[in-house]
Amino acid sequence: MDATDHSRSAGRRVLGSLGYRTLRAAAVSFWVMVIAFGLIRLAPGDPVLARLGAEAEPAAIERLRRQLRLDVDPVTQFVEYFLALLKGDLGVSIENGRRVSDIIATSLPVTLWVIAVTVVLGLCMAVPLAAWVATARHSSVPYIFRAVTSVFLAIPAFFTALIALIVLGVHYGVAPIIGYKPDFPENLYYVWLPALVICTHLVPVLSRVLYSSIKETMAEEFVETGVVRGVGRLRFYWYYLLRPSLAPSIVLLSYMVGVMVGATVIIETIFSLPGIGRALVGAVIGRDYPVVQGCVLLFGLAVVAINLVGDVLASWLDPRLELR
Amino acid sequence: MTAVASETAADPDSDGPGLYREGRIGIWVGSLMLLAMLVAGALVPALSEFHPNELVARPLLPPSATHYFGTDQLGRDVFVRVFAAVYRDLGVAFLGVVIPLVVGTLVGIVLSTLRNGFVVNAINTLIEAINALPLLVLAIALIAILGPGLTSIVIILALTNWARYARIAQTRAAVVKQQGFMEAVRLLGYSRTRIYLRHFLPNVSSETIAYGLSDFILVIMLVSGLSFLSLGAAPPTAEWGVMMSEGRPFVRDAWWMTIFPGLALCWAGVALSFLAEGLHRREQGIS
Repeated sequence: MDATDHSRSAGRRVLGSLGYRTLRAAAVSFWVMVIAFGLIRLAPGDPVLARLGAEAEPAAIERLRRQLRLDVDPVTQFVEYFLALLKGDLGVSIENGRRVSDIIATSLPVTLWVIAVTVVLGLCMAVPLAAWVATARHSSVPYIFRAVTSVFLAIPAFFTALIALIVLGVHYGVAPIIGYKPDFPENLYYVWLPALVICTHLVPVLSRVLYSSIKETMAEEFVETGVVRGVGRLRFYWYYLLRPSLAPSIVLLSYMVGVMVGATVIIETIFSLPGIGRALVGAVIGRDYPVVQGCVLLFGLAVVAINLVGDVLASWLDPRLELR
Repeated sequence: MTAVASETAADPDSDGPGLYREGRIGIWVGSLMLLAMLVAGALVPALSEFHPNELVARPLLPPSATHYFGTDQLGRDVFVRVFAAVYRDLGVAFLGVVIPLVVGTLVGIVLSTLRNGFVVNAINTLIEAINALPLLVLAIALIAILGPGLTSIVIILALTNWARYARIAQTRAAVVKQQGFMEAVRLLGYSRTRIYLRHFLPNVSSETIAYGLSDFILVIMLVSGLSFLSLGAAPPTAEWGVMMSEGRPFVRDAWWMTIFPGLALCWAGVALSFLAEGLHRREQGIS
């Protein structure tokens, strides 16, 4: 980053911060697209032979090669891919002939819903936790907090998911073991446990950063002013402690969404949620390249977009960031 | 991972008890846990009367004095299998950390010395794009092409994970360059090679190695997670993720098949987490 500081500051002056960020996000999106495109073509080995097996009929190989457009030169392939993409055409599944965009349209809402519930649940736990640890009187509280969060971060989510499923799903029967209903109040019943499992990783990371930045804020003079002026407790917490401390966590949260998207791949498989992560795993096992490509592209673009929103939101919450 | 980076920048809570401040407890507990696991991983399969892939008893026997962790659906001893997997899981993860660590550090250093703004910008956006894709998603997608297997996982990590290290090394290199001692060694008239190898590289790599330790945890989870999804190690192999996915259909009655490999995985993760945290603390205490 710092190596390009010079060009960055020049870019900032010309385009303004928001414009510059958007431009950068667009450049990153372009590379994401190139990666998604290159997945089949640049990897060692022949994807067609990998799918059909070495003893496949030459005619079948030729047909698949034509279907994947591997028979023309790479530049033409890329231009075709790019133009189709602009029209929203992500290709057709080899497995069942469905359009990739349709597959994504049906599975994406499930994943988004899981992530949305996770973020809300995570914030509801992390913000009070961090504020409590930061203002705790006893000196061992931060110490225990660090140790406990370290342990949580070291436990793989799929293990937590399995245990949660055995204990809460099978033994106590308070969570569904399988299935999903897409309508609003009912779908909460299907996603609360997966969301809680992802929170076992989200809350430690989020509350740690939030804790650090609250501590940093507490060292600033305006906090003392707040105490001296005797502002109300809630007002003090929000205006003097939390709002100035939230910005780093928002940036982090937007990056964590990317990590969570990764986590949903395994979680959706364990809880049998028909989301995009399960679509991806299914497509990989069936070597359904167009679907894999479409999912990767979508994941990448989503993360880039969310990071952009996070940056903008952070500079709104803490205008000091803009000056740095 | 971003958490680690931002925490290094500002860590106001150095007011813990004395032992904790230098991270001694973390380093000791973490190393001992790790050592215990490595010793057990070497001794248990060597001394046990059972072979990890041998059918030694009736299937799905609960834990007992002969089979401490019970037997699995084929009648293999879970205890031996859990420990036979130690070097496989940790070894694959170790390679999956070290290769990207070396490549990424070098790429970052080279990028920090390049003068051509356009090239640096283009490579930086590529790095950002790779980092934008969740590692697990990218790994799964590449497995569609390379095919499942532990070798594929190492190749995939080498292809993708270097970008995170390159980003850290580049940022660190820019900071190190500004520091006084770099000027000092230049004035002392040391050769370029000596400056780069003895002074620049160690200062940059200390940061990437620190990240590598916490990345180790993520990579272990990635390796076992992919195997759990049957995209990593293949079934007869004694590997924690494979064992957990084999135990999944029997989880109601034969919980030991899933729980023990899972606990081993947690043990490794917690050990590394304590170690990373302790070293991070110590670094903070010194600087």
